[in-house]
Amino acid sequence: MSQYSNNELITAYLSRQILEDDLCFVGVGTNGRAFTLAVGIPLAAVRLAQMKQAPSAAVYWGNLLEPDLSSVPEHFTQDAFTQWQAAACPPDTGVKCDMLARRKFDVSFNSAAQVDRYGNMNITAIGDYENPKVRLVGCLAQPEHFAFVRRPYLVMDMDKRTFVEKVDFITSVGHLTGGTSRQEAGLAEGGPKLVVTNKAVFDFAEDTREMRLKSLHPGVVVEDVLSLMSFMPIVPETIPETEPPTEEELGFIRGEIDPNRILLKV
Amino acid sequence: MTLRTKLTTLEKAVSPIVSGSSVAIGGSLLRRQPNAIIRQLIRNGVRDLTVMSWAGTTAIDLLAAADAIRRWEGIYVGMFNYGLAPNFRRGVESGQIEVRDFSETAMVARLRAAAQGMPFLPIKTLFGSDIAKRNPEQIKEFDCPFTGQKLQAIAAAEPDFTVIHGYIGDEYGNVQWPVVRDTDDMDQPFAAGAKRLIVTVEKIVPHEEIRKQPSLTYIPGNWVEAIVEAPYGAHPAACDTYYDEDDAHLKDYLGRSKSGADVRSYLQEYVYSSNDHDEYLAKIGGTSALKALDVARRG
Repeated sequence: MSQYSNNELITAYLSRQILEDDLCFVGVGTNGRAFTLAVGIPLAAVRLAQMKQAPSAAVYWGNLLEPDLSSVPEHFTQDAFTQWQAAACPPDTGVKCDMLARRKFDVSFNSAAQVDRYGNMNITAIGDYENPKVRLVGCLAQPEHFAFVRRPYLVMDMDKRTFVEKVDFITSVGHLTGGTSRQEAGLAEGGPKLVVTNKAVFDFAEDTREMRLKSLHPGVVVEDVLSLMSFMPIVPETIPETEPPTEEELGFIRGEIDPNRILLKV
Repeated sequence: MTLRTKLTTLEKAVSPIVSGSSVAIGGSLLRRQPNAIIRQLIRNGVRDLTVMSWAGTTAIDLLAAADAIRRWEGIYVGMFNYGLAPNFRRGVESGQIEVRDFSETAMVARLRAAAQGMPFLPIKTLFGSDIAKRNPEQIKEFDCPFTGQKLQAIAAAEPDFTVIHGYIGDEYGNVQWPVVRDTDDMDQPFAAGAKRLIVTVEKIVPHEEIRKQPSLTYIPGNWVEAIVEAPYGAHPAACDTYYDEDDAHLKDYLGRSKSGADVRSYLQEYVYSSNDHDEYLAKIGGTSALKALDVARRG
């Protein structure tokens, strides 16, 4: 077994969640590590899925429907976005919003400043909403993703300040306060499916909808994970290891998907 | 048929926008931010604005740097791949700027409601979220009269003014987009619901040119109060198919936005000490420096 990076592990893991015909929403913004989590890993994961089990999986990126993932722009400046070839580029972003509300999206990749026990997410403000400690970016379509997308995947690094008991502001409603509270509030069934991190993968318990440790990345022990969380997730008695990337997956990622290490840079 | 010309100067076009007005600002992320208009508003000393935006970047942050914003309503303010918007952030954190956050379907509903002359449109996105909980004034629950389903009414966006930067236009206010462009914005819905619409364009072209391809006119002159030629009018942001964002200028701006005092030196250098858009362009290096930002034009 050859060496692999954490980013490659996460990319391969996420790519295996993608099914034939999935329409996947990938975000556009940010830089540095946040770019890798929100843009780089998701684009690489969907492309890997296209090359393996899901050739008809597609991405909605910016306002481009089915951009050609076999030639991702090398520089993310405006003109590179403008020229990226795609199947469709609707006249305005409202079209994408309509597609979201009509549940045309199967998958979304999300990351946030805070996530809580029930998978509620905050990208709006840290601290008091009206006098915040840190004002973040707002909401974008993150509320829509959790409201309408069938399988949202959170892609985040673990940190005590990020994995909190209760988010300071609910931008996106996950499983709200657990159980059936999400549906009682007026949303359809759904909410975040998995939380894929740099240490472990979590899902949500079927009944209480609490975050539950699903697998540990190779070399990681439960204590490592818990020390990076401000709440106690459900910890099953036996926890499998996250399946590492195969030689074939690594070959695709390094040789064809991201040869210049643009997507999985940091 | 004799059309009325709407071509004017930047100074005249924005003069009706006074302190206390509400202004919707077009563009999205680092594209077509109507920054020439924004700089003129700052020169005019306008304050206490209620601003509305889609994904706002430079335009909102410049206004925040000039202490011109009292309230913001929209989906996002940041600097795209450059991080958070430092001056806007400082304004919100200090309590100077009040925020009303909306998700994308909610903001789309606000714009479409205005365009249709409706007081609201319904969505079903924000149940359980703090976006709805914190804004009972503009987001209200009701039951669908047909199905009984619980829905959320989102109040129409009804700004006094709407300002947009476009590609080309004619003296009658018809504004056209290129065939290939970046469409990740809401400029046409913003324009469609505007009360008083002020537009800058990269270039004014003869009306005869516009008439040849009327399907490219996304803002009909009928909607427009004033149109102004402002080449590089989105600088330091990009105008897709014309020029890219100015990386060096953006980095300088962000470097000088670490405190309110620092950013005042930026505003002094680039905004207050230039009397108009032409002087601003000269200040940032003139035609030769700007040409370096140009991107290849396609048919």
